Amino acid sequence: MTLHLDTSTGKTIGVARIEGRLDATNSGILLQKFPEWLEQTNDFVFDCSALSFIDSSGLGAIVGCLRKALEKNGDLRLACLDPKVSMVFELTKAKQLFSIYHDCHEALDSFNTGKQQ
Amino acid sequence: MKTLLTIRENSYAWVTSALQGLAPLLLPICNKPFVEFLVDFAVLAGSREIRLLSDGPLQEVEQYCEDGSRWGVQMSYAHIKESDDHQTIFEKNRRFCNDSKVMVIDGFVFVGYDKKNDYRDLFNSMPDGTVASCTTGSIRLFTVSESNMANNDETPVSLTPIDSVESYYDLSMHILRHESSRYVLPGYGSEPDSYVGRNVTISKSAEIIKPVSIGNNVQILAGSVIGPDAVIGSNVIIDRKSRITESIVLDNTYIGEELDVEHKMANRNTLISPQGAVSIAMEDPHLLTGIKDTARGIGNLLRTIVHTLTAIVLILLLVIPFILITPILAVQGKWKSSRKTCYDHTCKGVISLPDVSIERSGPLSAIAFALSLDRLPTLFRVVGGKLSLIGNAPIAAEEKNLSPPAATPGYRPAVFSYAEAENWPVGGSDAAIVERFYAIHSNPLQDIGLTMKSLINRFHDTTTA
Amino acid sequence: MIIKETKLDNITIVAPVGTLDASTASLLNENKVLSETSATVVLDLSQVDFLDSSGLGALVGIARKKREKKADMVLTSMNDNVRKVFEITQAFQLFDVYDDARSAAEHCRTKTASQ
Repeated sequence: MTLHLDTSTGKTIGVARIEGRLDATNSGILLQKFPEWLEQTNDFVFDCSALSFIDSSGLGAIVGCLRKALEKNGDLRLACLDPKVSMVFELTKAKQLFSIYHDCHEALDSFNTGKQQ
Repeated sequence: MKTLLTIRENSYAWVTSALQGLAPLLLPICNKPFVEFLVDFAVLAGSREIRLLSDGPLQEVEQYCEDGSRWGVQMSYAHIKESDDHQTIFEKNRRFCNDSKVMVIDGFVFVGYDKKNDYRDLFNSMPDGTVASCTTGSIRLFTVSESNMANNDETPVSLTPIDSVESYYDLSMHILRHESSRYVLPGYGSEPDSYVGRNVTISKSAEIIKPVSIGNNVQILAGSVIGPDAVIGSNVIIDRKSRITESIVLDNTYIGEELDVEHKMANRNTLISPQGAVSIAMEDPHLLTGIKDTARGIGNLLRTIVHTLTAIVLILLLVIPFILITPILAVQGKWKSSRKTCYDHTCKGVISLPDVSIERSGPLSAIAFALSLDRLPTLFRVVGGKLSLIGNAPIAAEEKNLSPPAATPGYRPAVFSYAEAENWPVGGSDAAIVERFYAIHSNPLQDIGLTMKSLINRFHDTTTA
Repeated sequence: MIIKETKLDNITIVAPVGTLDASTASLLNENKVLSETSATVVLDLSQVDFLDSSGLGALVGIARKKREKKADMVLTSMNDNVRKVFEITQAFQLFDVYDDARSAAEHCRTKTASQ
């Protein structure tokens, strides 16, 4: 879980790639890092293409990040949800909280056009 | 007329892999087991004798259907081989087929019929030949003197293959929405399109939207919404404020609070999306979990105690020769110890076991082998509760055979195997036969005797070799 | 246990009567038609009222040996008790099972003739 800043669309957007499993064992790490990330920018894209499993504490962490980003008038958008992970988002209704995009570019562009999915 | 149902194992293999813990032939379609639809249809067509044939296990289905007296028919069961063609199947069941017109329903297919129609006269007057067919199955009529085969152009019934999660889901939903009046569905149907079983508790604030089918022993808690288009199996709990629409919740499943199950199938802790058959096993018990059948517990506990005590006794007996002999063998290089990874009793996890091989040369290694000292390291795992004392030879968890224990009912990895006790060639495919025999027929006390027998067998092998 | 032997169209039908367990399995193994000849035989189980793992082991062993000699042993007329043992052990996958001795014998004859 590392952040890099993307300025290709003219706006500074923090892109983080979430890999493997996000569960009780590592969701704390995300929650710890996110405030540091927030000091760099307010808008984020989580690239979930390599996220293979998520449980409720992982979900809780991502929702927590979203809350913090929204508090600073930013946003957290998700890209490339694996079908399995997507099912957990649907089941728990977390899907309704996020703007979810098919790929990272779409997600990055969305911040510029102001278009939300 | 008599009916032969031939259902081959490979036609329902998808059920075993996608919906674990379900007996494929009892796959519930709107809460009624698959096989019962076929029996109903055979009865409608005028059969009084039905024989179920498969090249796979029939145990569960036999436990369910018994002798068929529930439906006023005589049911029997027989086995065929995977390679048997129609002719061979007929010959193997000649006694059954003699002197009668026979309807053969072949394949894991759903026969679409209407209970209001009379199929008896229709089928009796039809000439021999194919009545209906689809990609994975058929219905054919024949009499012993097979002569003029004719294909009937107009089929009185439809056949739908059940060959994937998606087709199963679509079939269930289709019946629930459009055809529930054509079949006898289980439950109290006080109003059309709503079938509710026994011992169902529905909270006052829960909402039920037709069409739904709900099984037995179901709790639907406050604020939840069931339907439209929901099939809830038996022994299910739907927790507060959850919504189940266009979905199938299979038996023994708990659905947690405030969840949204839409266009899905839930089987214990697994959530399945019928499109593309994507499935995910939940690890959070508050989302989805399996509800355990509590019947088994006690016998297993007794077995664990007996196995542990016997293992302790064996360890005490063997530890002194072990301390004396193994260091010498190890120095000689005849004691080769490695580790192997095997499936544990849940078939899902793995355990790492010490794997000792003794080079069979010289008197010391003969003694070590005769006393089964190579098994001593694994005996400690019995005390730790990870292994049984006697049971199945542990199946190695290798990449290439990912799911074999699932095919072994009652798999209990153990220090000694029943095959050793019975002196069957260990490791051969035949050994599985005796292990399955004892998976059903053993009791804890007999296990001690069989353990001794396998110890003696190994002792005997060494002294006579 | 006694073992009856009858012939039907040159095919021997062997019919053990009684219990097939550890104490009687050796009788089967000592039977000439079953263990020594390379002729395909029919084993009529209609009068076997009990079968345990040792008895099953004997049947599997005999069938294996027959197949090594390019012959076979087919089973017929199992009662429910015996069938259930084949069922839980899935031993049925190793055998051809007929419900009628005559059609089993016919199967053996065509099989022998084709060789």
